[in-house]
Amino acid sequence: MLLRGFIVCLVCCALPWSVMAATDIEISSPGEQSIPLALTWLLPTQGTQSAKVAAEFNEVLDADLDLSGLFRFVSQAAFLDDAKHIGLYSTQVNFPQWRMLGAETLIKGTYSLDGEKLVVEARLFDVVNRRLLTGRRYVGERKDVRRMAHAFADLVLKELTGEEGPFSARIAYISNQSGDKELWLMDVDGKRPLRLTNHRSIVLNPDFSPRGKEILFTSYRANNPDLYRKEIYSGKEAKISYKQGLNVAGRMAPNEREIALTLSKDGNPEIYLIGTSGRVRKRVTNSWGIDSDPSWSPDGSQLAFISNRQGNPHVFITDIFSGKTERLTRRGKYNATPAWSPKGDRIAFTRQEGGRFDIYTVNTDGSDERRLSFGPGNSEHPRWSPDGRFIIYSSDKAGNRAIYVMRADGTGARRLTNAKSDSRHPAWSPRW
Amino acid sequence: MKATQMFKIALVVLFLFGGLVGCAKPVTDDQTNVTQSDMSQQQDAKPAVDKPMHHDAVPSHDQMAGLKRISFDFDQFTLSAAARSILGDNAKYLKANSGVKAVIEGHCDERGSDEYNLALGESRAIAAKNYLVSLGISAKRLSVISYGE
Repeated sequence: MLLRGFIVCLVCCALPWSVMAATDIEISSPGEQSIPLALTWLLPTQGTQSAKVAAEFNEVLDADLDLSGLFRFVSQAAFLDDAKHIGLYSTQVNFPQWRMLGAETLIKGTYSLDGEKLVVEARLFDVVNRRLLTGRRYVGERKDVRRMAHAFADLVLKELTGEEGPFSARIAYISNQSGDKELWLMDVDGKRPLRLTNHRSIVLNPDFSPRGKEILFTSYRANNPDLYRKEIYSGKEAKISYKQGLNVAGRMAPNEREIALTLSKDGNPEIYLIGTSGRVRKRVTNSWGIDSDPSWSPDGSQLAFISNRQGNPHVFITDIFSGKTERLTRRGKYNATPAWSPKGDRIAFTRQEGGRFDIYTVNTDGSDERRLSFGPGNSEHPRWSPDGRFIIYSSDKAGNRAIYVMRADGTGARRLTNAKSDSRHPAWSPRW
Repeated sequence: MKATQMFKIALVVLFLFGGLVGCAKPVTDDQTNVTQSDMSQQQDAKPAVDKPMHHDAVPSHDQMAGLKRISFDFDQFTLSAAARSILGDNAKYLKANSGVKAVIEGHCDERGSDEYNLALGESRAIAAKNYLVSLGISAKRLSVISYGE
């Protein structure tokens, strides 16, 4: 091992360009490769020293990068003196030292805290080729440290894979921790929960508009399940569909001009398209049974939904323009809550098997079905992260229902909300 | 792995012989790759304002002691014989208390799809309503709401 490290050092020193071809980092999906990463703590440059700032930045970045499944972390206990050297220029970093520890990538950074004003500089280095890959200087307040770390995690993924991470986004969900089921918003690691509604009724099934400025949800505030939209930044709220019966499962089209939703105004639940002011534009389904849970294809031409038109609830796909409808799921007696992936290739859904719900994904032509969760308890309401790397869902395996996240291949599952109250219906925002 | 190492060794040797030795300069100019983000310029979500809200009292099942619940099989909204018999009792109560208006609430197992369950709950409530109407209760006295769970 030592010998190998030595040889590589020599190569680095003599021939910066010749090794490059041998060590290009190529990642197509989570879990396929793991890159040895040394993640050092931020070092103070000037102003107040705050171990808390450094610890929090490190904790958030570590958790995000670990969730990505792309990295193998070099043990911090093994770090040598370069971890304590402030220099962030690639000429100042002791790359051979990191190479010796087996690191191929290195994150170093500094912070300066002046009163509440916080400046963080974080850099990602290619250890093998001894060069800076990317870096960012974050200016804000002490309270912004978690957001800075999430933003840098997004940047690291973008640099190494070409696809930005989803960690700066937010999760909308329904929680009853205030006593009623209300709409909440939290960071993607479950921190900083914020209640957005005060309906003191029942709020259900939130979904972000594709540009992330608004949230659609259903509320019983006016004693009927009506569809509302809420502007996230201003807090303004409007009831947009309040026909008699159900106004539920609202999902804004990718072009934000129409909303697909379930209405039962004619006595039987069907999927309709309405304008953003609530006027019905088109009836999408027409069957004797229940049609619900629409999910848009990313190009806005198709909807996945569930229907019991052939007996049991199954997932179907319908073409908005031609009306051509095909059944997607064949197995199980209860398939529900389809969610179309942002890349368009897969659909996540839940299926009841042995009295319990678990999460599955399948290609849009019905091939390559994969089961992602295996109990205990029920895992439900799957939704994708905006980059398609992760699936967020709810599960009651820890008692009460809580929000969980896992990689799109089912690995790395972790709980985000505590199980003291009931949390469900997560939706991952577009990039914030 | 072995092969790669051999390859690297070979390169070292080759270039040492070629006399191309010099310490590596970083290829990238560090500054050009580092930009600044001002976090304080980003908009953030507005939390709920806790102002007292007008809240209509909804009569609960307990308050309407004269009316009884009916149940359905999993994922079904057809009325069983037992359910019809209970609805018959409920119809008698409604006939005896002509001033009473009833809200029929549909509920379901909370697992699966909440939206599908809401639909199922509504179908159940409508089935109950239609049966009560067939027993002579005016549809105007009956309203339907589905809570899904």
